[in-house]
Amino acid sequence: MNEITSTRNLESLQTPGVTPRQVKAPDSNSFGQVLTQSLNDVNKLQKEADQAIDALASGQQQDIHNTMIAMEKADVAFRLIMEIRNKVISAYETIMRMQV
Amino acid sequence: MDFFDALHTSAAGLSAQRLRMNLISGNLANAHTTRTEEGGPYRRREPVFAAQTENSSFGEILSAYQTDMLPQVKVIDIVEDQSAPVLKYDPNHPDADERGYVGMPNINLMEEMVNLITATRSYEANVSAVKAAKEMALKALEIGR
Repeated sequence: MNEITSTRNLESLQTPGVTPRQVKAPDSNSFGQVLTQSLNDVNKLQKEADQAIDALASGQQQDIHNTMIAMEKADVAFRLIMEIRNKVISAYETIMRMQV
Repeated sequence: MDFFDALHTSAAGLSAQRLRMNLISGNLANAHTTRTEEGGPYRRREPVFAAQTENSSFGEILSAYQTDMLPQVKVIDIVEDQSAPVLKYDPNHPDADERGYVGMPNINLMEEMVNLITATRSYEANVSAVKAAKEMALKALEIGR
């Protein structure tokens, strides 16, 4: 009994003067999804490079340059994703260093 | 048009030059061949290069029209030199005709060597283009540092 009355009192207190802003559900272009997508792309390129190396080593692929170019593509894409990671980490660290 | 298109275009050029190198090697190796499957002396082979967009599927053709994709070099045909064989007098040769002349391939070794150098240099140029494209991308990554 005691509890119910106490919550009723609280309800009267809680009538908000300002309605809380609706938190939007993450839309399809949220940063996390873009990041996941680009990570998947980089992973795909890495796998392509792996396949190209396998094909060259097993003799299916005769062109050295195609393998090298697949490797270069994977390298550049991986460096790009590393730069993005470094940026994200440094942004996080900057926020963590903020004085509260 | 993304960064990888430059690499793909250069890769097509590299493949084309490699095939050209193979053909020149074949020409040099067969400079004295007097017998072939189709009869007569070996005929020197030459690639025909064509600039075309990569059109293996409908989607690729469509995207090639939507984005102004660069046409890539492709070997569309390998033609045989139809000029007459060089006649050489050698009555003891097993392929000599009744007058004692042997039809030798009309391959000029100097010409083939020059073509070989051209193919090598073209290949190198394509490799330089690949390197430059990669360095450009890596320089772009340095902006964030």
